[in-house]
Amino acid sequence: MTEYLDPTDSVAVPRKTASRPPSLDGKIITLLDISKAQGNHLLDRIEELLRERAKPKAIVRKKNPTYARPAPDTLRKEIVGATDVLVEGLAD
Amino acid sequence: MSPADPDLDADAIESLFARGVTDGLPVVPPTRRLVDRAIAASGRDTGELIALVPPNYGRATVEKIAINAVMAGCRPEYLPVVIAAVDAMCDEAFDLHGVSATTNAPAPLVIVNGPIRAELEINSGAGVFGPGWRANATIGRAVRLVCVNLGGARPGDVSMSTLAHPGRYAYCIGEHEEESPWESLAVEHGFAPSDSTVALLAADAPLGVYAQRSRTPDDLMPTIAGSMAVISHHRMTHWGDTLLVLSPEHAKILGDAGWKKADVRRWLHERLQWPVRELVPGRDGGEGLPEHVLAKYRDPDRETTRIPKFRAPEHIKVLVAGGTAGRFSAIVPGWTFSKGSNLVFRRIHR
Repeated sequence: MTEYLDPTDSVAVPRKTASRPPSLDGKIITLLDISKAQGNHLLDRIEELLRERAKPKAIVRKKNPTYARPAPDTLRKEIVGATDVLVEGLAD
Repeated sequence: MSPADPDLDADAIESLFARGVTDGLPVVPPTRRLVDRAIAASGRDTGELIALVPPNYGRATVEKIAINAVMAGCRPEYLPVVIAAVDAMCDEAFDLHGVSATTNAPAPLVIVNGPIRAELEINSGAGVFGPGWRANATIGRAVRLVCVNLGGARPGDVSMSTLAHPGRYAYCIGEHEEESPWESLAVEHGFAPSDSTVALLAADAPLGVYAQRSRTPDDLMPTIAGSMAVISHHRMTHWGDTLLVLSPEHAKILGDAGWKKADVRRWLHERLQWPVRELVPGRDGGEGLPEHVLAKYRDPDRETTRIPKFRAPEHIKVLVAGGTAGRFSAIVPGWTFSKGSNLVFRRIHR
């Protein structure tokens, strides 16, 4: 039988989403604004609801300088080292 | 060599389609023999890593690029062009991550300069953006398949473009250097006329500029400017790299009158500017200057500072292409949100 070669990168492993905490109480929550117009309105409302319904230790706001590119490494490291939960508005 | 078996080929085409590794059109089944022939023609090592392809960062080795090129229908000798194009579009300055994932519609446009155009019969003349030329069609298509199969840019999955455009099947042109009164796009960017190069632009669909009665720069330039003004929308400003494709007849009008490319750029940049007060959202449409720009002015509704369509004249890239008959040019808008994507060059190694 003729062998057909694989056009994809079979080495690339699909990434898994992070495990979800059972509760947000006492957690540090980061809200990442990706700089899309009016994304701040959405995140403001989410922050309000989180404060109303959960008891987070802190809510931190961060901003990606542009939605057209992935967050810079420095910002990622800043977030990873200092948060339990991240909420990111992806676009539109 | 075994005799051809059309049924086997048809089965292979169906199974590749079912695996989601095509662009929706039938592909050439990538056999070891066809892929090895392409790799040999490139003179590169099978396992050489050319780039990681965003947004999934699949490894674009020479072999993986060759597999996709074979599937696209490339002849073996096209592979160096495809390799250079993949290398260019994976340059950080191109921002393929954004280009592939955005809800906008950009597609990587491959622009070929230099002697390789004639050697591979890459069309730069009549119907330059259209069908009928194997090199243009399959090199452009190979780039798309690399985006899908190594970059993960599957429509509706990672690739979230609301509308996209037909250039996402194949988008590859040559510059009609022989009909240009000026240096080529590549020479203008530091390459020698004897170099063969690709330039990659994250490009919207071409917008035709019909200027059939124009005989002088004074006739022609305002018409071109009027068409450029509506890129993205008629109040969009701060735009970046964009292509002005002049037909030979239009280029001749400008060249005969002593205009250089730099004059074209400067004229358009000067012309395409509007006072802030005309760019306030809600005046003549809901679009306009973003909040952070408006915030710089005390009373935007009266502000007369002029804001240009393009951040600088250099962002207007000019080349000559198309048939020698017809006063039709085209604007090919780049994708430049937040200074996103820039024109990126690579020399083609053979």
